[in-house]
Amino acid sequence: MAKVLKVEGGVEEGLRKLLFDLLDSGQVKGVLALRRLDEKGAAAYSLAADPATVKDILPFHPLMPAQGGRVLSRLTGTEGFAEPVAALVRPCELRAFVELVKRTQGSLENLLVISCTCPGVYPLSASLDGGLGPKLETYWAAAAENEVPDGLRPACTACTEFVPYGADMTVSLIGGRDTEVVLNTSKAVEAVGKLSGEIAESNGDVKAIEAMRAERGANRKKLFEEDSAVHGGLDGLVKLFGRCIGCRGCREVCPICYCDLCEFVSRRSDLTPEGLQADLSGRGALRLPPGTLTYHLGRLAHMAVSCVACGQCTDVCPADIPVSTVFSRAGASVQGMFEYLPGRDVDEPLPLTTFRTEELAEVED
Amino acid sequence: MKGARMATAEGLDRAVVDLASRALKAGAADCVLMPVEVPAGDSFAYVLVRDAGLLERARALPPVMPVQGARALASFTGTMAGKKTLAVLRPCEARAAVELAKLEQVKLDSVTVVTCDCPGAVPLAAYLADGGELPAWTGEPTARPICRTCDHFTGGGDLHAATLGQAEGSALLVPLREKGSALLEALGLVADADALAWEQEAAKLTATRREARSKAHEELAAEVAGLSGLAQFFGNCIGCHNCRSVCPVCYCRQCYIDGDSWEAPAAEYLGRAQNAGSLRLLPDTVLFHIGRLAHMSLSCVSCGTCEDACPADIRVAQLFGMVAARTQRLFDYEPGSDAECAVPLATFKEDELHEVEA
Repeated sequence: MAKVLKVEGGVEEGLRKLLFDLLDSGQVKGVLALRRLDEKGAAAYSLAADPATVKDILPFHPLMPAQGGRVLSRLTGTEGFAEPVAALVRPCELRAFVELVKRTQGSLENLLVISCTCPGVYPLSASLDGGLGPKLETYWAAAAENEVPDGLRPACTACTEFVPYGADMTVSLIGGRDTEVVLNTSKAVEAVGKLSGEIAESNGDVKAIEAMRAERGANRKKLFEEDSAVHGGLDGLVKLFGRCIGCRGCREVCPICYCDLCEFVSRRSDLTPEGLQADLSGRGALRLPPGTLTYHLGRLAHMAVSCVACGQCTDVCPADIPVSTVFSRAGASVQGMFEYLPGRDVDEPLPLTTFRTEELAEVED
Repeated sequence: MKGARMATAEGLDRAVVDLASRALKAGAADCVLMPVEVPAGDSFAYVLVRDAGLLERARALPPVMPVQGARALASFTGTMAGKKTLAVLRPCEARAAVELAKLEQVKLDSVTVVTCDCPGAVPLAAYLADGGELPAWTGEPTARPICRTCDHFTGGGDLHAATLGQAEGSALLVPLREKGSALLEALGLVADADALAWEQEAAKLTATRREARSKAHEELAAEVAGLSGLAQFFGNCIGCHNCRSVCPVCYCRQCYIDGDSWEAPAAEYLGRAQNAGSLRLLPDTVLFHIGRLAHMSLSCVSCGTCEDACPADIRVAQLFGMVAARTQRLFDYEPGSDAECAVPLATFKEDELHEVEA
């Protein structure tokens, strides 16, 4: 049994009221959430300080124009909040932020984290030119039926980590019951204690979660085992990334890739006369700019252990390459090797920075 | 002007590949840089080739321009001391290469650039989804919007393969610069055919395009007038910076906007949010674009690679091209046309721009 705040008026209205009350009463000085950009379903993250702007917030609108973990890192990477701020982020965004906190790229200080059981988001392309508005009714109806809505990001349809870890509050978006805000921490209970609203005890809709997990798990298995992007060895990767235009958008939007100057843009990765000579004599030709696969495989090596399978990379790719499918598959493998789930626990050390004398014996000769 | 006749019975691509192969055989070039079809057959990539046999799947003018050729050049010319390269580029790529040479990012000394009359490229996303052909000069427009108003679709290289004003199955190799003449000589070709037909056809089309460009610029300028107009234009921008990454002129390894000076403690962001009521995040969307315009518009060749790379369908190239036309006009500067003419950003004149003084 957990303490829950019952919310009237559905997800949008009800949550907006909660956010308004939190801001207006001074419980928090700011609210980070998606804000409406137009009447057609476009949205962007915004930090709201004036309660009058809360009316434009779209709580858990099914779009991820920027990865919430990256946004939180931008805000708190230099120095954390000195005053309480509420942040509405999805489970994968929260996990990504925790991974960044482990890398000293963010601070959880004074954050009231409000996450949700997440039905998923649509790709950015679905939101352009008025595409998202008409989909919303179907989306929420599917979520209420514990079904995966059509047309979501592939990463979302295959996501089994849709219940957040470590959030102060979890909004139940999956399942057909009334909207409940589960109060996971004493901070959460205190924050709502001074507001109006019924606090009850609830077991939550466990059946709904299990049903969703089963469907998504089956999708994940299918994606990882059958998708041609994932198999085919080096030749397969050469073919898949053949149309990569080297924009590095995948890296730019990835919450984990925080480096100001990426290794693969630095001088160390430049073509040398010797390297050029070797390629020309050895293979007779060299694709330019060089290092397409080196960059992707290198990025995998650097970030796979923390990949939260959010799918931001696939969304931004102008060449329609399923980057997320490849990266999250590799990520799952690496994470399995270390029995590590990124973002599960802020006190769990990063495998990349943990040395054990006795491990990975299987890769020794 | 005169040029050397080149038969293109099997198409322009084949003819240019033959030319490149002959250049390799004759020792006029040690390598050839040309777009080549990728292994999966779904796109094209620039490949630096030493063996002519590998030019089998090369195209002089692919239907798309996934990577700006000048960017490809910039990635290796610093390492090519003493090696001669023949680079087949679109006119906008050749002009961008000249700009990059001025910015010391490309060494053109041992590069001979061959350009062709370019009817434009189709949008990258559409091509990757459904395939497509090189746009036609007339009829239903399939080229990217930026290509439809391009007035620099001809020339730009050391040697130019002209197809405009030429009979079917024939092109004219017109040497535009010293290196172009040297290449013809090395190949035993003589520029003895009159190029007037090409010059006239090109001039006619340039005039039409210039008019279309002016009109497009006028309309766009009205649309984005004022900060709110610009904010509206970039409404869907997610700050991925793809436009910057693929731009040939934006060569900085670490962009100014990614530097330390833009980082701030949380309290400062909250302060900004309090001042305005709310703060859109990630911050400084419009500032990024204005900053990039300030830094690179003088060298912008309106190639449109930025718009191809935008995941939010923003008409970046059209906006940047419009602003670039104005900033370049202010200095009477034409990017990529004269290697000896320094970029205005690097030129100080004590007596200029009085109109912006108080």
